[in-house]
Amino acid sequence: MRAKRSPWARVALYLFVFVICVVILYPYFVMFTTAAKSNDEMYAVGGGLLPGVWQWSNFINIWKEAPVFKYLLNSVIVAGGATFLAILCGIPAAYALSRMRFKGKGIFMGAVIMSQMFSPVVLLVGIYRLMTDLHLTNSLIGLILLNAAFNQAFAIWLLRGTFTSISSEMEQAAKIDGCGTVQALIRVLLPVSAPGIVTTLIFVFINSWNEYTIALTLISSDLLKPITVGINVFYGFNFIKWQYLFATSIFATIPVVILFLCIESTW
Amino acid sequence: MKKNPKPRARLTMRQVEPYIWLLPSILLMGVMILVPIFSVFQTSFSEISKSGINKGFNGGVNYLWVFRNPTFWNTLKNTVIWTIVVVGLSTILGIILGLVLNEKFHGRKIVRAIVVFPWATALIIQSVIWKYIINADYGALNALLYRLGIIKSYVNWTATPGQFFAWECFVGILVTIPFVTFCVLSGLQSIDTSLYEAADVDGATFWNRLFRITLPLLMPSLTVSTVLNIIYVFNSFPIIWTISKGDPADQTHTLVTYLYKLSFTNQRIGEAAAVSVVGFVILAACASVYMVITLRSEKEE
Repeated sequence: MRAKRSPWARVALYLFVFVICVVILYPYFVMFTTAAKSNDEMYAVGGGLLPGVWQWSNFINIWKEAPVFKYLLNSVIVAGGATFLAILCGIPAAYALSRMRFKGKGIFMGAVIMSQMFSPVVLLVGIYRLMTDLHLTNSLIGLILLNAAFNQAFAIWLLRGTFTSISSEMEQAAKIDGCGTVQALIRVLLPVSAPGIVTTLIFVFINSWNEYTIALTLISSDLLKPITVGINVFYGFNFIKWQYLFATSIFATIPVVILFLCIESTW
Repeated sequence: MKKNPKPRARLTMRQVEPYIWLLPSILLMGVMILVPIFSVFQTSFSEISKSGINKGFNGGVNYLWVFRNPTFWNTLKNTVIWTIVVVGLSTILGIILGLVLNEKFHGRKIVRAIVVFPWATALIIQSVIWKYIINADYGALNALLYRLGIIKSYVNWTATPGQFFAWECFVGILVTIPFVTFCVLSGLQSIDTSLYEAADVDGATFWNRLFRITLPLLMPSLTVSTVLNIIYVFNSFPIIWTISKGDPADQTHTLVTYLYKLSFTNQRIGEAAAVSVVGFVILAACASVYMVITLRSEKEE
């Protein structure tokens, strides 16, 4: 992309890109600075960009004002459980799709791709009825099952890609040496596909951690809310504690951003 | 499969085995996705009391109610505008950003990471921040512009439904750009640089390279990212629900916020299911296009 262009066009292009970057990052700047403002400063007209006095105590107070730790723990349970389940069901399916021939393979693949398209929101009415029948409304297990299911297509797709890119010779050699299919999968294929599996794990974890709509609909007890729904506790009808809301949001964001940076370095 | 006419051709382990491997996945998706799909269809043709009791089949009454409701048509119009504007503009901006970030400059890796990381942060959190930024009384945008001397007094940025909706589209575009940039950057990595060297020898202009080499070779990753984006944006709930809740006067809904409000605020569950089915049909059309594209590109590989 290093063609001859007028320097002005180049400057304009860079300026344009710079502006987009600033606008994309602006909310994060606001989140950080607002999280450290005092309540008075929060609502003052003509308030500065940065807090006049950095109110670091906000970051401590949130843990006392609301069960933030419990929300985070719920998120860890839901995202961790959903990731585990999605991978546990996804690995055998991806293995069959990449290594075996069978009737209905095309149909199953088509169904997997189609299912990717239906977000839980469109199905909420049905999901709510199903969960009521299963007595899983207001339960973390319900959230785990749903998140695992709605990430299943994506997990199968990524894992199948990984498995397909690895030659099956080693597994066949292992089978000749007397390994069963399951052993060949666990001892030979899985260790080699570790990078692809980790990427899949992280994607599913981030998706489930950030999930909002299902949890908002199904969870009614405060102590079972994951963090995405829990932050609403600072968003009351009469008053909103923005500084607490944002301080909590920072804690909700850090884990996924770290995970994201782990896979980001791979491209 | 059990009713095999020839008793001699009994099912061997080899034939059954693949299905056993698929079973956990099929069970999980079958129960958690297929059952709700059927349930939505069934509900959409049933009379459901406000307390959620199913009073049985009522023909197309729910659909008639929905189709006779002007809010539904306004919502459908909003959904189309929302999807086209957000996907269209974020794709164009994402491509530009991706192309520039692909050039070699100092700190490129860091800048890339910074631009793409918002993709990993929760939509609900990004939406809440923007709701705060555009607040008329104490929002960060007013404070910023006031300090800079651009405005003399605080502006109400969301005085009309149209303004509300425009802001929501703006936020939608911003949060979608990182995903497009991510796809463009990974697509660009697979382009052979010798093509550009050859083009240089031939004296190709910047635009020549862009339209003859870069964009055509980016097409496969752009098609996938665009179709996925259409589906994500169409289904996007948190932005609109957080910023306006579909108000004022239900003027800023898209299908998903509308059906959410119908079912969980107004307790019109049957009608909400009918709206779901409409959304479902639209998505199914998009999904089949996506499926054809994906399976075709699989074959080409």
